[in-house]
Amino acid sequence: MTTEVHRPRWQIPPLSRDERILGGACQALATELGVAPLAIRLSFVILVLAGGWGLVFYGLTWAFLAWAGPTGAEAAAYVPEPKAASLQHRYLAIALIVAGLILSLRTLGFGFVDQIVFPIGFVLTGVLIAWNRQQTEGGVGAAVRISAGVLVAAGGMIAVAALNVDSWEAVRLLSIMAVVLLGLSLIVGPSVARIGTELDKERQERVRADERARVAAHLHDSVLQTLTLIQKHSDDPKRMAQLARRQERELRTWLYEATPEQPGTMRLGPALDNVADAVEHDHEVRVEVVTVGDSLDLRPESIEDLVSATREAITNAAKHAEVDRIDVYAEHRTNAIEVFIRDAGVGFDPDAVAEDRHGIRQSIRARLERHGGRATIFSEPGQGTEVELYLPLNETTRRPATAGEPQPEPDEQEAEIDPENLLKAGGEHP
Amino acid sequence: MIRVALIDDHALVRAGVRGELEESENSDVDVVAEAGTVADAIDAIVRSKPDVVVCDVHLPDGTAADVIAGVVERGVTSRFLALSVSDAATDVIHVIRSGARGYVTKAIEGRDLVDAVRRVNDGDAVFSPRLAGFVLDAFSANLESPGNPELDELTAREQEVMRLLARGYAYKEIARRLSISIKTVESHASAVLRKLQLSSRNELAAWAANRKLV
Repeated sequence: MTTEVHRPRWQIPPLSRDERILGGACQALATELGVAPLAIRLSFVILVLAGGWGLVFYGLTWAFLAWAGPTGAEAAAYVPEPKAASLQHRYLAIALIVAGLILSLRTLGFGFVDQIVFPIGFVLTGVLIAWNRQQTEGGVGAAVRISAGVLVAAGGMIAVAALNVDSWEAVRLLSIMAVVLLGLSLIVGPSVARIGTELDKERQERVRADERARVAAHLHDSVLQTLTLIQKHSDDPKRMAQLARRQERELRTWLYEATPEQPGTMRLGPALDNVADAVEHDHEVRVEVVTVGDSLDLRPESIEDLVSATREAITNAAKHAEVDRIDVYAEHRTNAIEVFIRDAGVGFDPDAVAEDRHGIRQSIRARLERHGGRATIFSEPGQGTEVELYLPLNETTRRPATAGEPQPEPDEQEAEIDPENLLKAGGEHP
Repeated sequence: MIRVALIDDHALVRAGVRGELEESENSDVDVVAEAGTVADAIDAIVRSKPDVVVCDVHLPDGTAADVIAGVVERGVTSRFLALSVSDAATDVIHVIRSGARGYVTKAIEGRDLVDAVRRVNDGDAVFSPRLAGFVLDAFSANLESPGNPELDELTAREQEVMRLLARGYAYKEIARRLSISIKTVESHASAVLRKLQLSSRNELAAWAANRKLV
C-alpha cells in the first residue's frame, strides 16, 4: 500500500552559487530548511549584534559547507529532505535559536563591543535590503532598493554613534567610518558590481545551456536515431518513408503539443495519433488524423474502447481497401464524440458479407455499444468505405467531476531548470 | 499555363515541389520564379507577377504572411497557397487570415498539389483535411459570445462541407453525397474562407494562440 521512496540519508546542502549574497551559506541553509533565505540572513545579522558572533558563525558555517558539502553534479542533484515540522514551526525554531544564542552570548559577555558590532549589524541589514533580489524586478526597483539599503545602513550607524558616544566623538567616529567606507567602496565597488552582472550572465547562460541540452537530448533520441535508421535502410524506400513519417509525427507532437501526456489521463487526439502511427508501421499506408476539440472529462475506459475500435477500423481499411491513404476525423461535439475512418478504396457490400465474417465488425460495434454508442459502416463496391463511430457523452462515459482536475502546469519547465524557484516561491510568503 | 512562384527556404524542397508541379500528369503549371527568403520572395513575385505563389509558412526572415503583406503593398495580385510541414494552428490560421487562399501540407501528392494550384488560380479555396479541422475548431470553440452573427457563424451547410472535407472527402464526393453541384461546394468553401479572413472576432486569434498551449 505505501510506496517506498528511496532517498539517501540526510545530505549536507551545497553552497548556493546562484542566489548567494556573500558565500551562499544562508541560501544553502534556507534551501535545506525550506524557509525563505531572508529569514536565515536576518538571523545571522541579528547574531552579529551579539558581540559580533554572527560573523563568526557565518564564517564557520560557510567553511563547513565548503569543506563537506557536495559540489558539481552531486550539488545539482541535491534535494532537501522533506521536513516533518510545519513551516511555521520551522520559523519559530529559527527565531528561538537566535534568541537563545543572543541572550546567552550577551550574558556571557564575550565578543566585540557594541560600538563596533552595531554599525556592522546595520551595514549588513542595509546590504540585505539592497541585495535581497526578487526574480522579477526592473532597474528602478533595484535602484530604490539599493538606496533604501544605504539609508538604513547610514541611519543606523548615525543613531548608534549618537547614542553611545558624546557628540564630538560621534562626529570623529562617523568621519573615520565615512572615509573607510568611501575607500572600501572605491576599492571593492566595481568588482562587486562586476560580480553581480557576471552572476546574472552566468545564470542566464546556465538556463540557456540547460534548455539547449534538453533539446539536444530529445533530438538525439529521436531525429538522429531515425536518420541513422534511414541510412541503414537506404535500399528500401518504403521503410525509409515509414521511418521519416513516424519521425515527423513525433517531432510535430513534441513541437506543438507542449504538455506531455499526463499519466492517468488519456486524450483522444494523441491516442489516435499513436494508433495511426502503429498502423502505419505495420501496413504500408498513410493515416491522416484530424481532431477537433479535446476533452479531458471522459472515463479512460470509454476513450480506450473508442480508440481500440478506431484502431480496428483503420487496420481493416489498411488490409482490405487497397489504398495508400486513410483519413481519420474525430470531433468532440456537445454531447457526443464522433470518429470517422474513411478510405477511398475498393469498398464492399456490407449486406453481402457472411454472418461469420462479422467478427471484426462486432469487435468494433461491441466496444461502442458497451458505452451506449454505436458503429455504422457505409460502403459500396468501388466507392470506398467509411466507418462512423459514435460515443455519447453521458453519466456512463463521463468521468465523475472532481475538484482536482489535472491542469497543465505552466511553470513545469522552469521548475525543472531551477527547483530553488519553487522553494522560494513557497517560502517567501509564509 | 498557370505561372507559379515557389517560395521555400530549402532548395531541395523547392526542387521536389517543382518536379511534382511540372511533371504530374496533365500539368499545366509553369514555375517561373523561386526564392528562399521573404525579401527575395517579394522581389521575385513583383518582378515575375505569377498567377499563384506556393509559399512555405516559415521562412528564415519571417512568415508567408509577411510575403503576402509585402506583395499586396506593391500592388501585385498573385494568389497564395500556403504549403508547410508545420501544423501549428496559430501559423496556419494567421497565414489564411493574411490572405492565402488555401493551406496544404508538404505530404500532399503531386496530382493533388497541381489540383490545389489550379483551384487557387480559379479563385477558389483549398482546404486540406487539417485546415478544415482547424476551421471547425476555431468556429465551434467560442459559442458563448456571438458578436457579429451573420458574419461570424458558419451556416449548417458550410459546417457540413467542412466536416466532410475534414473527413477526407474530395469536392466531387461531397457534391455527390450532399446532392449538390461541385460549384456549390466550391462556393461554400470560398464563403468559409471569406468568413475566416474577415471574421472580426478576437476569439479566433485567441483560440489559435490557446491551441498552441493545449
